[in-house]
Amino acid sequence: MTAGTHARAASLAAGWSLLVASAPAQTAGTLDVGISTVRYDGFLPSGAVTATPALRWERPGVGISARGTYLRFESGHRSLQGDVTGSLFAPRAATRWRGELAAGVGASRYVDFASFWHAVAAARLHLLEGGRGAWISGTAGTTSYGTGPRTVAAGGAGAWLRLAQFTVQLSVNHSHIGDTTYTDLQSSARAEPGPVVLEGTLGARLWSRGGGRGSYGEASAAISLGPRTALMIGGGRYPTDPIRGSVAGRYLTLAVRVRAITPRRVAFPPPRAAPRGASADDGTSLPAARLQVLAVRGGPVRIVVHVADATRVELAGDFTDWEPLALTSTGPGEWEAVIPIVSGVHRINVRIDGTAWIVPAGTTRAPDDYGSGVGIFVVP
Amino acid sequence: MHLLRTTSTSLLGATLIATAAAAQDQRLDRLDPSVRPLVASVIDSARAAGLPTEPLVQRALEGATKGAPGEVIVGAVQRLVADLGEARSALGPGTTPPELAAGAAALRAGAGPAVLAKLRRARSQTITVPLAVLADLVASGVPVDSAAAAVLALASTTRDADLVEFRRAVERDIALGAPPGMAVSTAASAAYGAQGLQLDAGARQSRPSRP
Repeated sequence: MTAGTHARAASLAAGWSLLVASAPAQTAGTLDVGISTVRYDGFLPSGAVTATPALRWERPGVGISARGTYLRFESGHRSLQGDVTGSLFAPRAATRWRGELAAGVGASRYVDFASFWHAVAAARLHLLEGGRGAWISGTAGTTSYGTGPRTVAAGGAGAWLRLAQFTVQLSVNHSHIGDTTYTDLQSSARAEPGPVVLEGTLGARLWSRGGGRGSYGEASAAISLGPRTALMIGGGRYPTDPIRGSVAGRYLTLAVRVRAITPRRVAFPPPRAAPRGASADDGTSLPAARLQVLAVRGGPVRIVVHVADATRVELAGDFTDWEPLALTSTGPGEWEAVIPIVSGVHRINVRIDGTAWIVPAGTTRAPDDYGSGVGIFVVP
Repeated sequence: MHLLRTTSTSLLGATLIATAAAAQDQRLDRLDPSVRPLVASVIDSARAAGLPTEPLVQRALEGATKGAPGEVIVGAVQRLVADLGEARSALGPGTTPPELAAGAAALRAGAGPAVLAKLRRARSQTITVPLAVLADLVASGVPVDSAAAAVLALASTTRDADLVEFRRAVERDIALGAPPGMAVSTAASAAYGAQGLQLDAGARQSRPSRP
């Protein structure tokens, strides 16, 4: 059975799972496009262009992820990876224990001479309590590097602790893949300051027979730029993964993530008639704006609108009696107003250079009863 | 003759009421003169029913600013009156006008009256922000059940500012590729504990892929 056959089988399995999904399920898809520099152990450094589509299907208690990575190196050589993972969680019980069954299949191919595929299943038992938890896991499966399949058996345990927006985790895993054996100790930390997610991993392959040794570490930042785009930066060193067939290496990657598939939003009752004025929904091309609401409890609210190119920016909302309010330019592409706004839910639209009223990014878009949209934001 | 006199008196009365109502809020002068008495009449009826009128004035002004036809403005204001009434029924007496406005938005987004009632029972302080966050989450694509469960779980112990922060975390995770339902579950776990936590490898998609 070839890597390509397994990859197709994995795709079909994922597709079937998506088709049988029932109503509460949601699907989200992203595409990362970026550039990387990588130096695999024993090879010269190389630049590469990367494209990574990913699909996540989710319903309560079940999650399936599919991800592929295409790399084109400076040499013109290409690498293709793909994997599908899924988890099934036991229903929440009165106890603090929760079971999880997970499975994953994947394949990778580099030029014409290196092909891997793997299929593994895992069982995990989670102990959950407040902002901390622990788990033990066991994994079994098979993996193949061109020749005959090799048995995979692994066991692990870990614990995590969450403090406000900061999460730390420590885990240990012992793996047997054919005659290769190794033990990894890994720690990770995750922080979520505002629109940014920062993650770091430090680990060591403490003991190994045929799986390489040494320490490794990675760091990444995901910066949300808007409702559909994000900037992804990552780098570091990762160890050889005998299950998935990746060779140890160092890398630095920069990518832009575009949200390609968005779950359907709630359906509102349609408005009774269309408005006379133009709107962002009428097919005309309107400039984009992003809104930032900076509220200090008890004080006025600073509203900042970011626009790429404008000579006049206005807003109107229920806090201006829907009278257009011209904003003051405070720098290239930045306009602001400081307004007293009471706590609660508010409606806003923005107008650029006298064109139609638009819904700025940074607010939740909702139908406005007038055939167009309105931005919703909350002041605490 | 009697019928004519009665009709004339009724029309005169209605006109006087509408004119008086319109005179109560000069902001409505921005509406088309043919629409103003109709909107004022709706607002006056709402006032008589004990509903807050400020959201209704704002909804009418929004339509005026956007150049909506008069009948559409009247329809929008009437719908909001109905939503406010339903929100009051769900939230009970003593509900503040901001809470009613937020409750109406939550109902319009798809949250049921039962959820609003549970939220009222779950929190002793004002529930304006929890209701607003609930409406906002549902409008973002989070399934109503998931959004309601998360907000209900957070409402009793979480400050308003933290609820808004929770909403931002959901927005960020959605932008990073998480399905809204999962994003809200993850953010809620971060805010109140780990009952919704998922630790599987594919659950967190906030890292770029390795080359």
